[in-house]
Amino acid sequence: MDNLIEQLKNQIIEVLNLEDMTAADIDSEAPLFGEGLGLDSIDALELIVLLEREYGIKLTNPAEGKAIFTSITSIADYVSRNRKK
Amino acid sequence: MTEVKTVMLSPCFIKVDGMKIFNGSINDAYRTLINDYPKFFKMDGLCKIGFLGAELLLRCIASEDKENAAIILFGRAGSLSTDRNYQKTISNLNNYFPSPALFVYTLANIVTGEIAIRHKIYGETSFYITEENDPQMMETVIKSVFETSNPSLILAGWVDYETENNYLAELKIVRNQKQS
Repeated sequence: MDNLIEQLKNQIIEVLNLEDMTAADIDSEAPLFGEGLGLDSIDALELIVLLEREYGIKLTNPAEGKAIFTSITSIADYVSRNRKK
Repeated sequence: MTEVKTVMLSPCFIKVDGMKIFNGSINDAYRTLINDYPKFFKMDGLCKIGFLGAELLLRCIASEDKENAAIILFGRAGSLSTDRNYQKTISNLNNYFPSPALFVYTLANIVTGEIAIRHKIYGETSFYITEENDPQMMETVIKSVFETSNPSLILAGWVDYETENNYLAELKIVRNQKQS
């Protein structure tokens, strides 16, 4: 799980252009939207694309997204249970 | 019309009023000269050079003076660089992952919006795509905007981005002599 969390942090830094940030700067439990990383709606779409491209996960229910994208830990938990690759 | 202040950004240097103030990449220039708008890193190249140039010109202007300002930009390539990058994300049906963040920047006039949001500018904003940098045409458009909208000032100029090694922004603040 720790490896997946680290990998997700690095992938998120890359796809969201979080320049000047390292994986160590991201609190795994901190909220991704609003406070914490302060991501926006376009970032949310990029995260959906990331899950599909890297882990073969298609999010078809938008209501699911809110819970999945709460924090890095919640994403890692969902990916570990649903990944196709 | 009076040019109050000018800025020029190229891969070789950044000049303000003809004086070289920085050598280095766009991102390094942002970190050194601005560094208080993290959204900068989400912008595409066209937006970055337009935004950076506008920052260097507008940060000394009082906010009440900017409210009614206009932004009139010109360029040749528009958002072509981002369009190409976006195309790469949708060109292979077996690896088809359109990037939402890239798609946001596939319109040239996004740069005028980014500048307007940052500086709370509510006047006219336009981005003209032209074959070449034509100062005569630019002046005609600027005069027309002063006559029709009567803005407090106009941020105007050429903003063109092909690649990180091939771009040019020549921006200026213009005031209407009749107002001064």
